Amino acid sequence: MRHTVVEEWSRGASLLHRRAPLAKLLPVAVFLVLLASAHRRLPWLSAGLALLLAAGFLCARLPLVAALLRAAAVLPFTGVFALISWLAGDPARAFELTAKSYLSALAVLLLVGTTPLPQLLRSLELIRVPRFLLTVIQFLYRYLFVVLDEAAHMRGAAAARGGMTFRAAAGALAVLFARSYARAEGIHHAMIARGFDGSFHPLSTHSFTARDGYFTAIAVALPVVARAAAEVLP
Amino acid sequence: MHIPDGFLTTPVWAALDALALPAAGFAARRAQRGFDESKAPLLGVMGAFVFAAQMINFPVGIGTSGHLVGGALLACTLGPAAASVVMTAILVIQSLLFQDGGVLALGANVLNMAVAGVLAGYLPYHLWGRGRGRRAAIFAGGALSVLAGAVLALAELVLSGVRMPGSALGLSLGFFVVSALIEGAITVAVISALENIQPGFVRQPAPGHSILVGALGLTAVLLAAGGVVFASTAPDGIENLAIQAGLSKPLTGYGGGAGVAGVGLIFVLLVLGGRVLRKRSA
Repeated sequence: MRHTVVEEWSRGASLLHRRAPLAKLLPVAVFLVLLASAHRRLPWLSAGLALLLAAGFLCARLPLVAALLRAAAVLPFTGVFALISWLAGDPARAFELTAKSYLSALAVLLLVGTTPLPQLLRSLELIRVPRFLLTVIQFLYRYLFVVLDEAAHMRGAAAARGGMTFRAAAGALAVLFARSYARAEGIHHAMIARGFDGSFHPLSTHSFTARDGYFTAIAVALPVVARAAAEVLP
Repeated sequence: MHIPDGFLTTPVWAALDALALPAAGFAARRAQRGFDESKAPLLGVMGAFVFAAQMINFPVGIGTSGHLVGGALLACTLGPAAASVVMTAILVIQSLLFQDGGVLALGANVLNMAVAGVLAGYLPYHLWGRGRGRRAAIFAGGALSVLAGAVLALAELVLSGVRMPGSALGLSLGFFVVSALIEGAITVAVISALENIQPGFVRQPAPGHSILVGALGLTAVLLAAGGVVFASTAPDGIENLAIQAGLSKPLTGYGGGAGVAGVGLIFVLLVLGGRVLRKRSA
């Protein structure tokens, strides 16, 4: 079974990995808001924030180049709109869209690359995201690669038979639907048999220590200083 | 169409996030009422199914293919509230792990696809899903779910000042209509295949809802979507009107912010009105 690269990253043991989820969630949220609302001296600000993120990736001992490539997933969508803006005679807007969306994706990648998803979701519970939704997200993530593999097998089998017609594809999806439904029922019974009470208990929980507090303060201050410099400097 | 971060202006994403959180909470409570909490595995695995369904390509015409988006299919099988929860979960996973759609823009994407998309996908089935027009209703649901989501996303982008010349706008609207028709066709095909396997998968719409109310709802959805697009693509007309009415100065400065505030106000009024009505009928 395949795992996402990001999940492997999130199992590291660096300085950033050891921080409590909330100590990373907060700075990333501040970073995103500061970047999204920035207008003045955007090229300089973007360069500064990019350096900040690069330092974060190095600090977390994550492969920087792989992260840069992975964050490029936003570029096809962004590229279309940036191109339209460029052709419409607004190159500044084209740069803004590209820089903001790319750096935001990179920041989110740093967060999920240093925080295992179950812990991240648990910390989202603190900001009043409905727990039922978070439980559904947990299950979705847990079974995503199982169902993806099943779909890949179906696609492979269809390719071996010479491709799928529209009706055959619909049939395949219906079968996949029924199998997923049956799988969910099986999971449900197995979990009830094991005493599932509706909530997850991660094996390791981080408590928010003084060290996490210092880290949060510094990590929030850095982008704030960068943005303030971009606003204030003549 | 998942909006990344950096596309929406601050008032737009902030207002949409503020709207999306209670909407997601409402859907989660409704879904929990229908399925007890321990049924969370079902919704999670069905979310994984929708994800995986993107790997199955449906050939349409020469060399092109489409894939299932899923809002309408989920609404017809799990019910609209559960479908909304599943779509929200998918959007969260996509934005966090696959860099598909922004985190600040999550509220916008949830409202477009998990709330408006699912509701628009379910409405025709809810109204006409019992009689002879059943297949047509399912088709319309699939098409409307994609169309509503895409048009809202486009409107939010234009509201945020992303440049969209007329030609690009026309082209993307045409593209949306084609993908909407494909989604409708795929939804119908998958639902009839599902019914061949096991009819119990597809839920029957509850009887006793007046056609008039539904038709009004449908018109409201279309009008709202169309109105937002018109208002944001043709600001000149509105500005002219404002100048004639002597309102030019206060309107031009605010633009997007005022529009979002207006939508927010309407939303709050509707919620309050709903509460009052429910208390009266209880």
